[in-house]
Amino acid sequence: MTTAPPATDPLAVALLALVVAVAVLVALFRDVLAAVVVFAAYSLGLAVLWVVYRAPDVALTEAAVGAGVTTSLFLVAIRRTVRPTGERALSLGVRPRSVVAAGLVGGLLLWTVPALPAVGDPNAPAFGPVPEFYLTDAPERGVTNVVTAVLVVYRGFDTFGEVVVVFAAAVAVLVATHREVL
Amino acid sequence: MRPYTDSVVVTKTVRAVVPFVLTFGLFTLLHGTSSVGGGFQGGVILGAAVVTVAFGFGLDQTWRVLDKALLTALAASGVLVFGAVAYAGLAVGGSFLRLDAFPVPKSTVYATELVEVGIGATVAGVVVVLFFELAGGTDGTNGNEGAEGTDGEGGDRR
Repeated sequence: MTTAPPATDPLAVALLALVVAVAVLVALFRDVLAAVVVFAAYSLGLAVLWVVYRAPDVALTEAAVGAGVTTSLFLVAIRRTVRPTGERALSLGVRPRSVVAAGLVGGLLLWTVPALPAVGDPNAPAFGPVPEFYLTDAPERGVTNVVTAVLVVYRGFDTFGEVVVVFAAAVAVLVATHREVL
Repeated sequence: MRPYTDSVVVTKTVRAVVPFVLTFGLFTLLHGTSSVGGGFQGGVILGAAVVTVAFGFGLDQTWRVLDKALLTALAASGVLVFGAVAYAGLAVGGSFLRLDAFPVPKSTVYATELVEVGIGATVAGVVVVLFFELAGGTDGTNGNEGAEGTDGEGGDRR
């Protein structure tokens, strides 16, 4: 099995820089349409990053849901808004309170990072006996994509719940729009 | 119905792209046990194909030709199929959600495929429903009325 590139891999660094830059742009654009398009680029950057880190299933989901469907949902939602007037494309005025809040949340999250096991640590929970069992048992059953096997065969209860949640989303939208049939 | 101005570039592109998107979506959906993807990803791609058609040929125009009963059935089928497979495990003497107890060859594979197809149907149906409901006025009457009042506030309408 090929291993994922280290965090210092130039491609990974470039993609991470792109994702961060694009995320900042999303916040700065005054035009919502531009922000939505840039947000799609953010998802695309993340999807490519997942491919670089050998997680194609996550990448496919990110590309389809994050870059694709979410963007289209935003696009139809912002039809009810108006474009801002004025020359400036970016709003560069930042409130100090926002900086403090963002810094506080970011700092708290970063504070938890040292508690995570190091990359490639053989004693990490991810390398316990259970993944070993998944990796040998799933192909024996004929399901060679272990991600699918984990989702449906071993953790079917979670996935069953997820499907119910997805269905509930459609029901909730109909309830919110006071409709009983489509 | 809201007016729709069609563009040759957009409609031709959508016509060319959608068959490939549908094929890729079905492949992703049906081939999830042995390659990247599965029900969720395949379903989203299939739903996105319908969304693409709506962008190319108009929201109301697309919504009109969609079979609402079929859409409802699709959205519900994942829950029903997953539930049926889960209880079928009990019925053949296994346990709830046990996929390897069915008296067919490669029981786990086929049970997983069946569940994936159900998941894909639900996800595709829900993506389409969410898109058209958010677009406002899937019946073409309660669409833009609420937004008209904000027109004069400066700026171009989209």
